[in-house]
Amino acid sequence: MAKVLEGPGMGLMKKWGINVPNYVVVTSVDELTKLGQANEWLKKSKLVAKAHEALGSRFKLGLVKIDLDFKAAEAATKEMIGRQVGSITVTQVIVSEMISHKEEYYCAVKSTREGSEILVANCGGIEVESNWERVKRLCLEIGQAPSADALEKLSKEAGFTGPLIKKMAEFAGKMFACFDSEDAQYLEVNPVVTRASDGELVALDAVTLLDGDAKFRHPDWNFAFAAEFGRAYSKQEEEVMAVDSKIKGSVKFIEIPGGDTAMLPAGGGASVYYSDAVVARGGKLANYAEYSGDPPDWAVEVLTEKVCSLPGIKNIIVGGAIANFTDVVKTFGGIINGFRKAKSEGKLKGVKIWVRRGGPREKEGLDAMRALKDEGFDISVFDRNTPLTDIVDKALQK
Amino acid sequence: MSILANKDTYVVIQGGVAGVNAARRMAEFCYLIKRSLNVLAFVYPPDAGKTHEIPYGSGLVAVPIYKTVAEATKHHPQINTSLVYIGADRAMKGGMEALDDTHIKVVSMITEGVPEKDAKILGAHARKLGKVFNGPSSIGIVSAGSCRLGVIGGAFDNLVLSKLYREGSFGVITKSGGLSNEIIWICSQFADGITTAIGIGGDAYPGTDYVSYLEMFENDPQTKAVVIVGEMGGDLEERAAEWYGAKKRRVKLMAVVSGFCQESLPKGMKFGHAGAKEGLKGEGSARSKSDALKKSGAIVPATFGALGPAIKEAYQELLKSGQVKEPVEPASLPKLPKSIEAAMKADEVMVTPLIRTTISDDRGDEPCYDGYPASELINKGYEIPHVVGLLWDKRLISKQEAEIIKRIMMLSADHGPCVSGALGTIIAACAGIGLSQSVAAGLIMIGPRFGGAVTDAGRFFKHAVDNKMTVDEFLTYMKKNHGPVPGIGHRVKSLRNPDKRVKELVGYVKSLPIKTPCLDFALEVEKVTAVKKDNLILNVDGTMAAVLVDIGFPVDSLNGFFILSRTIGLIGHWVDQKRQDSRLIRLFDYLVNYAAPKRREVPPLK
Repeated sequence: MAKVLEGPGMGLMKKWGINVPNYVVVTSVDELTKLGQANEWLKKSKLVAKAHEALGSRFKLGLVKIDLDFKAAEAATKEMIGRQVGSITVTQVIVSEMISHKEEYYCAVKSTREGSEILVANCGGIEVESNWERVKRLCLEIGQAPSADALEKLSKEAGFTGPLIKKMAEFAGKMFACFDSEDAQYLEVNPVVTRASDGELVALDAVTLLDGDAKFRHPDWNFAFAAEFGRAYSKQEEEVMAVDSKIKGSVKFIEIPGGDTAMLPAGGGASVYYSDAVVARGGKLANYAEYSGDPPDWAVEVLTEKVCSLPGIKNIIVGGAIANFTDVVKTFGGIINGFRKAKSEGKLKGVKIWVRRGGPREKEGLDAMRALKDEGFDISVFDRNTPLTDIVDKALQK
Repeated sequence: MSILANKDTYVVIQGGVAGVNAARRMAEFCYLIKRSLNVLAFVYPPDAGKTHEIPYGSGLVAVPIYKTVAEATKHHPQINTSLVYIGADRAMKGGMEALDDTHIKVVSMITEGVPEKDAKILGAHARKLGKVFNGPSSIGIVSAGSCRLGVIGGAFDNLVLSKLYREGSFGVITKSGGLSNEIIWICSQFADGITTAIGIGGDAYPGTDYVSYLEMFENDPQTKAVVIVGEMGGDLEERAAEWYGAKKRRVKLMAVVSGFCQESLPKGMKFGHAGAKEGLKGEGSARSKSDALKKSGAIVPATFGALGPAIKEAYQELLKSGQVKEPVEPASLPKLPKSIEAAMKADEVMVTPLIRTTISDDRGDEPCYDGYPASELINKGYEIPHVVGLLWDKRLISKQEAEIIKRIMMLSADHGPCVSGALGTIIAACAGIGLSQSVAAGLIMIGPRFGGAVTDAGRFFKHAVDNKMTVDEFLTYMKKNHGPVPGIGHRVKSLRNPDKRVKELVGYVKSLPIKTPCLDFALEVEKVTAVKKDNLILNVDGTMAAVLVDIGFPVDSLNGFFILSRTIGLIGHWVDQKRQDSRLIRLFDYLVNYAAPKRREVPPLK
């Protein structure tokens, strides 16, 4: 799943005929000032300025300012750009037209196993969250598009009356078209509002999750996907992502500050079982990592270096199930090189390494790991006869 | 028995390299269970019409490659299963092609990163046709003792260790490919092994879910229990729980679910497979799944590690109730023939090497010349002449010797376009011949009359010096046994018009504090011969030869110095002609003395 920030998200909605407020995304006040000369609405309308970053609780952080004239919007932009929130530096601000409205509604389309589901409610904003039963659904099978009748029925069920029945039905229809055509996994507009000036429904805020795997057929996705967990990727994480994008197989790395148990397991499935075992044993994860699909040794080496560089770690869990086709000697070769490099840089002092693995050329691979003991590593190596997560039990034994 | 894949399963593999690797693994399994290779065809348009050679035992099986699935099933009507190894951007088209073929009943997609929408369309299409679409991102399907689809099961040793050569009593359904072998192994160690294990793929919406396969296992009398390896995200585990709890089931259900760590991670942080994403309000969490499964009556061990003992307990109960009997292991199993490399490593065979080398070795991360790594030579300041020394004479020559060789090479790199070598190369270049052949055309001119006198000159000068001959004795010896002295004489140069290259080289070598008995002798010879005839001077070949013998190079390598140096010039001539886009040349008639008989009548054939 790939999260898309508000600007490009609204851009996609606009492409499918959904009304969105006028907006601009800027990286400096100068840019906004220039745009102000070219776009009359910026001077005429009341404006909203928001930090355009993958940040939660922007309101509380003072990164959303409303009811601004152009001068105030410039001031707000100046103030926001460059602000540091945790690991994120605000680099973009979205300035949009403020739409005066009375009623707020809700509309979303989400992916289901059978196809998708259109959700509509005649309340919006925070009200919809406390009145979830007011959300009405229309389930669709894959390949099926909603009929105008079905959408109007949904609109009526949700409690819309009069001309709003048809307007909401049409709005939901366009949301579905956008969802279906853009390989979206989740689209949510909350609130949908009636624009006082012309009575049209307008999307005020957009949550857009796209299927990153479908990028190959969307050449117009010219935006970057945002990190999904409320912070920017760290430099180390980005370096591993860059390696990941270049190789056969994959390497993944996410830092979890404050932990003391570092993870270097193989496989997307086993890695989570290993993480579970650490948590179940009362340990604190320092990271998530995974290598799978027989990646080249140099990629595993890069991953190993990142894991060894995590601050304050006491144990490294080099776990893995019995591999299908990942070559144990080759991938362990990468890990061993990474360990050696880390040690030569003065890292891994007092760190215990725990290894468990099986698969093609397992004996040679495990022997190579065992041999690290002679180089002064504190390493314990186990084969397939030791159950998968027992090394975590051993590592975290008090 | 088994589900999905059995002795009657015959396969077409759609895709390139990854598919061929899978076929190799599948052939290993077929060999283990003594059935013929079940991969009958590949579909890969770029190579259509060719074959892939798949190792089977110690032999090779040629498997044909077709352009379309329809062509493959037309030639091999037994094919009923397709494995899709096509890239994510074209996977849907390939999957549809297989599903729409009437022969094919099961399509398993290995491709990772397939768009969700495509997977849903494929799944829905298969259901409509009453077929099975498994995956995407599936590691494969294996039925013990009868059929392997894909790389599931791993290396040959693991197949044996996990007892996949004969049926057990446990079915396995797993999202994780990496854990499939682990569970198969656990089933074989704590119980009697598996019937069928299926990787359904770790995507959010796999084409076929647990419930469909649970139904199949329920209807397979050999399967007594099913192990599910679940993950957080989606609702497939909940649906499985619902199925299991709905009524009394013949099979026992056991399950583990991963993702509990999520509870103690920073909000919104997710990892694992694509499908491992929590729903909005806690639905799809590991806890809700594991609770639902427990409630349905399934056995849900607290950790992955506890799964083995739980399986053991279930198996003991099955044994006690008489539902299963202890399996009988076969007396012997086929051993996979080892590659020569592996057998040699294990000291099992001895091979007489075909060739022997004493100069270089590039089996490591870089070439070593006579044992010295190339990069270390570079970093320590050694140069090309030192590499020549190492490869031609297996010794690290001194700085001084290297300087002499460098000068020799510089002096003999080229001698203009008119000499035999350059002319040969130029004629070839003008005829449009490629670099290596054109240079070879020039090099083959090097011989007794052109450039190839170095070795002989060296040999005879050395003979004279070794045998302490006087110049007169030497000349008499040569005249009697060999003829003119190689290295003496020049077509155009003479005492009055000396060869500057010789002067330069002799001057430099004589300025060094080294002993040069051969060169001294050669110069003495010149003094005598040049008196007899003006152009019987020590030529550049003779000079090089004498100097090189003096610094210790073996006589047989001496022509090499001319060949090596002149190659530089020949390459230059080829590039020069190429750059000018020179046209084909032929000799002008006036440059030929036509001394053949005049035109005459051909007599009748007798």
